[in-house]
Amino acid sequence: MDIISQLQEQVNTIAALAFNTFGTLQRDAPPVRLSPNYPEPPANPTEDTANVAEQPKLMSSTLVKAAKQFDALVAALPLSEGGEEAQLKRIAELQAENDAVGQELQRQLEAAEKELKQVQELFSQAADNCLNLKKPD
Amino acid sequence: MAATATYPPPPPYYKLYKDYIENPKSAPEPPPPIEGTYVLFGGSYTTDDVLPSLEDQGVRQLYPKGPNIDFKNELRSLNRELQLHILELADVLIERPSQYARRVEDISLIFKNLHHLLNSLRPHQARATLIHILELQIQRRKQAVEDIKRRREEAQRLLKEALGTLDGH
Repeated sequence: MDIISQLQEQVNTIAALAFNTFGTLQRDAPPVRLSPNYPEPPANPTEDTANVAEQPKLMSSTLVKAAKQFDALVAALPLSEGGEEAQLKRIAELQAENDAVGQELQRQLEAAEKELKQVQELFSQAADNCLNLKKPD
Repeated sequence: MAATATYPPPPPYYKLYKDYIENPKSAPEPPPPIEGTYVLFGGSYTTDDVLPSLEDQGVRQLYPKGPNIDFKNELRSLNRELQLHILELADVLIERPSQYARRVEDISLIFKNLHHLLNSLRPHQARATLIHILELQIQRRKQAVEDIKRRREEAQRLLKEALGTLDGH
């Protein structure tokens, strides 16, 4: 994939990771005690407490790694300085050079075809002479 | 029992081309290519494709405007801002959970700016691809010229040799 598409994919990946991080944390967070008047919330041992503590670390490190990857991709952008005008100028130069080389190629091609015809003509004459056993002029 | 509708008949222009075999000029020319906007199957399209600017879509532009944008630095700073906003959202969710909306809006604004920046890199990429293709073509043509020259010289040499061999008899 070209670098810009990779960058776009990376942006989408970062967005998806951010959603998943917040969504998972919101879904799995244990209830918290709001006020000293109310009794402590029942600590259900259904969710592994180790899991709940590990997940934010894992997910945040994945997010940061994705952001670092994005920075690495940005550094790899082959942006040649000079902007639009420099590129257009280079395109015009290349087109002129392409035309010149194309004409040279055309000339060489025509000369080569002419020589080919001459050789073919001579060869057919020689072959005819051989067939008819005529002495060559 | 066919409940399906039949296809529409072909357009009646075909009658104009009755004598096309004898006289190709007696029939009308094909219509010229369309320029500008046109309507196709109820939707309007344009031949002049240009990326609409962020203001046209009603989105605030976070990176500075101007003729030449430093894409790499702007992308990097937008990335850093994005990370800061994500952290802010996490903090807001802990302390004042009802105020998440503004933070989420900011994050989506940053994403829109990121994608717009990347899309505006595409014309640059197209021109760079064109330059590369032209360079490759020039290289191939030069190679072909060299090849033809070499072959012609070789042919001349062979003919001279053959002439020498024949004269030597």
